[in-house]
Amino acid sequence: MLEIPQELLVLILQITLNFGIGVIVTLSLNLEVGYLGIPQFGRVLTVLIGAVIVGGVIGRIVALYLGYPAGLEYVGYENFKIVSAINSVLAANPFLSISILILTLVLAGLVGGVVGYLTAYPALRLKEAYLGITLLAFGDIAQIICWNYEPIAGGTVGVNIIDPFRFTGEYRIYIAIGFILFMALLIYIYIERLTNSPFGRALRASRDSETASRVYGKDIVRLRAQTLIIGGAISAIGGALWALYSLSFKAITYTRLLWTFYPWAYMMLGGTGNNLGIVLGVFLFSTLRTLIIMYKDYIPITQYIQPARLEYILVGLTIVLVVLLRPQGILPEKPVRTLPKKRIERLIKRS
Amino acid sequence: MLDLIAKTLAYSSGIAIGAASITLIYSTTRTFNFAHATMVTWGFYIVFAMQSFLKGSPYYYILFAGLFSAFLGVILYLGVNRPLIKAGVGEITLMMSTLGVDLIYFGFLGAYIDYLLTQYQIYATQFYLELYDFIIPVGGAGYRGIGLVAPLVMITVIILLHLFLTRTRIGIAMRASIENPSLAGLLGINTDVIYLLAWVIGGFLAGLSGGLLSLTMAGYDKVGMDYIVTFFTGSIVGGLYSIFGSLLGGLLIGMGEYIGTYLLSLYVGTWITTYRPAIPLAIMVATLLLKPEGLAAINWSRIYSSIKSLLR
Repeated sequence: MLEIPQELLVLILQITLNFGIGVIVTLSLNLEVGYLGIPQFGRVLTVLIGAVIVGGVIGRIVALYLGYPAGLEYVGYENFKIVSAINSVLAANPFLSISILILTLVLAGLVGGVVGYLTAYPALRLKEAYLGITLLAFGDIAQIICWNYEPIAGGTVGVNIIDPFRFTGEYRIYIAIGFILFMALLIYIYIERLTNSPFGRALRASRDSETASRVYGKDIVRLRAQTLIIGGAISAIGGALWALYSLSFKAITYTRLLWTFYPWAYMMLGGTGNNLGIVLGVFLFSTLRTLIIMYKDYIPITQYIQPARLEYILVGLTIVLVVLLRPQGILPEKPVRTLPKKRIERLIKRS
Repeated sequence: MLDLIAKTLAYSSGIAIGAASITLIYSTTRTFNFAHATMVTWGFYIVFAMQSFLKGSPYYYILFAGLFSAFLGVILYLGVNRPLIKAGVGEITLMMSTLGVDLIYFGFLGAYIDYLLTQYQIYATQFYLELYDFIIPVGGAGYRGIGLVAPLVMITVIILLHLFLTRTRIGIAMRASIENPSLAGLLGINTDVIYLLAWVIGGFLAGLSGGLLSLTMAGYDKVGMDYIVTFFTGSIVGGLYSIFGSLLGGLLIGMGEYIGTYLLSLYVGTWITTYRPAIPLAIMVATLLLKPEGLAAINWSRIYSSIKSLLR
């Protein structure tokens, strides 16, 4: 077997992890910004909801199922004990672990969708900057509540998170990251198909000219609500996967900078409205960011300043340069792909 | 009680001045300035750094905080905002571009914090300038001077802005281009100069607000980012197009935050105080959904005349 140096392996794993989560969240953002055309400045809201589902709800369901305290005791100082007891049960029970994993994703998707639907209320009434600021405020309010209200998920102390990958033993990190990557691929295929369907074309039409698409009988209100549900569900799954991987939850780490503005930067670099562009943008950014963090000792200036400062400047500079020099991103939005004429005729004949 | 009033006045005056900066820049250039966050934080740090090096009262350096942020505003306008306005991009793109600039300014601020630590052994990650404030003795108790100075500065800002917008040619031109940009252009008003001036004044107000607020709360690198939505709220409650409305809106938000939390803590319990930052957010969401025009929607002349008819 090929010998891979430890350092390189860690680097590749880190990039893959950031890439997988980034793709999931940014694709959902692109669906709302690139296709629907609303300024989604509150992406962090549904990501946080997904993580809270894992930390505060799934953990309790499992605790209840296995007969551990699941009420207020679950989030208190007993939390560590309860979670490690659950984990030792899960380590010996792959079937239960996989069921929990599936339940988590389904529940996160459902609740994320509901929250997305709730944000449709302002999204139908406000425009442009007003809407952006309102969505941003939603994200911030959710963060403040989760950070201060302990019964949800531990407040400022946070909670530990049960580990459904525990049964894979020493391969946990590979399996977990592999699964995240797999989910990112599934979501990519789903969104790519969705945006090339009549639904996706209707979205673009309503984005480019609301009046015209209304004339052609498209229900704008319905389109917007549906897109916000899908976007909310996908980003909540992203948040849930991140929480499951990182094994702990603290509301303060779900900042609008990390989970709203960075995905915006990825999206703008890759190309707003182009799913493949999003993947490319996320890949470039996650590689660069990880390289800066990992190789900080080799960058001469970092003996004076922290490498995170360089990261901010890099992301900021990318946003500014993309906006100024190439507003369409690396891969610009392409015209809609429809079926070839012959195939449509064949389909009509068949029916 | 007097202590609470002094604190509230100091804080809300700072927020009001910052909200005026958001409104001035938005109403002229249609740009929601996210870089406001770090421009305010730079205000904090200019006062802190100058105080650390030169000693003395922090009040001497608040003006420099304003000047530095005005400089940051000029860079932002000439480097990013001006080419984008010329290209005729939408509001969202303008907003995102200022966010990019904010991250760059934030990165440099962080580098400066690290530089202060490694080169001068000045610990700047968190600081409290309140300690250097002067004390006003009132009836046996002492109150920090900022409770008096910040409102005075705000009143000065109001008077100067009023004189500028009504008595100078360029100020009148600025008002004209706020109310009708294309007509102002037709009349030969140089919108480029107006925009630049808006960024200079807006930047100055952002730095001034940061300098004043540095005497009311702890300074840290993300302080501007944490309070940016409060500034936005002040501006939105004020109606987004009225500079004096934004000053009033900022005052209301600041007071609502302090006094609202105080009153709620009396009736609901002290646990509510940790949710203080959520108050301006909630006010903003409510304003936008119920009355997006903000205070500007209130018909003052009608209220005035109805009061007059009542008195008669």
